[in-house]
Amino acid sequence: MQGQATQIIHAYRQAPWRVQRQWVGVFLLVVVGVAMVAALYLDVTARTAVTGREIQELRVEITTIQRETADLETQLADLTSTTAMQRRALELGYRPVQPGELDYVTVPGFAPPEPAILLAAKDTSPQTATIPVEYSQSLLEWFEDRIKFGGTP
Amino acid sequence: MRQQYAVRSTIVVTGLALVVFAVIVQIIRIQTSEQAEVFLSQGDRYSGEFQMFYPERGEIYDRNGHLLAGNRTVYEVGVSLREMESPEAMASALSSNLNLTYDEIYKKLTESPETWEYVVIQDYVAVDTVEKLKRLVEQLDDADDPRLSGLAFKPHLQRSYPENALASNVLGFVTRDGRGYFGVEEKYNDLLAGNPVQVWVPRDPNKATEIPKVPNGTTLVLTINRDLQAKVESILDESLSEYGAQNGTIIVTNPRNGEILAMATTPRMDLNNYGNYFSLYDDGSQYNRSIGMTYEPGSVFKVLTMAAALDAGTVAPQTTFIDTGAIVVGGITIQNWNRDAWGQQDMTGCMQHSLNVCLAWISSQMGTQAFYGYMERFGIGHPTGVDLSGEAPGRLKRPGDGDWYPVDLGTNAFGQGVAVTPLQMLMAASSIANEGKMATPHVLYAMLRDGHQYNVPSQYAGSPISPDTARTLNEMLAVSLEQESSMALLPGYRLAGKTGTAQIPSDYGYDAFHTNVSFVGWGPVDDPQFMVYIWMEQPSTSIWASETAAPVFSRVAEQTVILLNIPPDVVRSQVTP
Repeated sequence: MQGQATQIIHAYRQAPWRVQRQWVGVFLLVVVGVAMVAALYLDVTARTAVTGREIQELRVEITTIQRETADLETQLADLTSTTAMQRRALELGYRPVQPGELDYVTVPGFAPPEPAILLAAKDTSPQTATIPVEYSQSLLEWFEDRIKFGGTP
Repeated sequence: MRQQYAVRSTIVVTGLALVVFAVIVQIIRIQTSEQAEVFLSQGDRYSGEFQMFYPERGEIYDRNGHLLAGNRTVYEVGVSLREMESPEAMASALSSNLNLTYDEIYKKLTESPETWEYVVIQDYVAVDTVEKLKRLVEQLDDADDPRLSGLAFKPHLQRSYPENALASNVLGFVTRDGRGYFGVEEKYNDLLAGNPVQVWVPRDPNKATEIPKVPNGTTLVLTINRDLQAKVESILDESLSEYGAQNGTIIVTNPRNGEILAMATTPRMDLNNYGNYFSLYDDGSQYNRSIGMTYEPGSVFKVLTMAAALDAGTVAPQTTFIDTGAIVVGGITIQNWNRDAWGQQDMTGCMQHSLNVCLAWISSQMGTQAFYGYMERFGIGHPTGVDLSGEAPGRLKRPGDGDWYPVDLGTNAFGQGVAVTPLQMLMAASSIANEGKMATPHVLYAMLRDGHQYNVPSQYAGSPISPDTARTLNEMLAVSLEQESSMALLPGYRLAGKTGTAQIPSDYGYDAFHTNVSFVGWGPVDDPQFMVYIWMEQPSTSIWASETAAPVFSRVAEQTVILLNIPPDVVRSQVTP
């Protein structure tokens, strides 16, 4: 009775449709695995591409902002030029001071200020920023690095 | 039936396998063919491009942070020929906004080489014009009208001078190729321009490269005081008009450290229209007369002769000289400016009355070696080393030179037969105001780079005379101005100075009708904080410096003490320990 049951189970395991299903399963497993790797690769590549494009756009934006800043500084200087300020002062009713109209106040210990450090001294040029390798490395290059350097790229 | 399917399946699979095999073989063949390297190199060539990153040119400020030279956005207007739909419409639209004719634009659009993908129509187009064109393009785009498709605007910076002609002789200008000419723009061109960086930029966004560090050009802070510069230019223009002079120069410095606070000359040029250069100047030396043009200074030179004689011990302030109205030096008779005999004079009187005979006697007493030795130490005949482009060295003839004659020892003593620039005279005379020490005149106060300010230290150009001599002559020149009731005086302030009326040499001897008038002065005498040099060419209302240059000095000094916040002597004496 027990031998008969064993034979049935054995026959069931050896059924052609079951063998086929196993092969299909293995095949599907491989396909799913490849698809997952492909999807991962595609995702990483797409994100790298998007980031790269953003970097390019930011670079353009930096250039634009720097140019606009320089332009605005010059426009401001136009508005506050000697000629413009004199004209505005006269329109507001001011007139040049005469020597006899000046009153000097004695302030012991006062030292006239030296020319100050200008705001323009701030460095507006882009600094050298090291882009992390994750932003420019493909998946295959990452694998290659891992193989070469054993997890310490 | 099943067997038939099997055969057909086998045939199809075999066929597909052969196709795949053929494709693989072809791929391998292409990859390993002789042309593969050519294709690969072509691919590499188009995978990116070399881009030149130009730094923004450094700005120029005055000592109080007012922008004198900056950068303004302008546009390059061009057309992408592949995208262009209608050259006629494009030429029509652009010709009505740009300073180009329809034919010129149409020719550029239609007769460009076939390999060209982009053609520049005009560069350095103002923002307003481009805004008009952009609005036109938007209107057509909204109406799905492609007639202006391909029109492109590329912004970039152009040098701009907010103060237009103010201090144009000091600043210089920058042409469209980015090179500085004259003044600070030329002298510090390398610093201002910075260093362009060329980088290979891949088109593949996967290969994002690091942004190259392109530091902006160095920003410069000048010693110039914008408000004083404007006022001095205004006084110069008014004075030239009032006295009928052809051209002129006024320089204001700090004698303690050589800082140039104002340097006005004529003619001046609107730096935003530097194309006018050739209509304003015959040659480069006229661009900044303060440093580029030499002239015989006349009696202002007497301060140097007197300083040398006092320092050498040849004379003392109390030394008396009997002026007979003439003296023979090197076989030539030298006379006073009015040909009169002034009788007994001390050295202060010689300076006060500006007696040529007295000064010629002094230089003769000194001898050639001592006199020219002192002139060398004063820097006469040498560039001052000012940090402006285009400085002339001047000329001091010396014994042994082919064109030196013994009479030159006498005439040089009162500033004839010697050629100097106004700035040379100013630097030499600064030793009298500055305890015997000369400071090299300069316009650069500081440099700004990478967020740091680097102040430029003053440099001294030597000590031609002792502090005692300087103090003595300082007092003598103050007294001579006061006793003369000079028009150079300024109420409330004790000033020192000397006029100079000089004959003008020509090919036929000295001009009998025209003079150059000068004045060198400084104040306050007990603590000199400013020094002024004035030169006006050929005034027509009066040939005398005492009636032309002297009152101009007074006006300049009056505005200088106001703008530099220098209180009158009485007020200063209350706080001076």
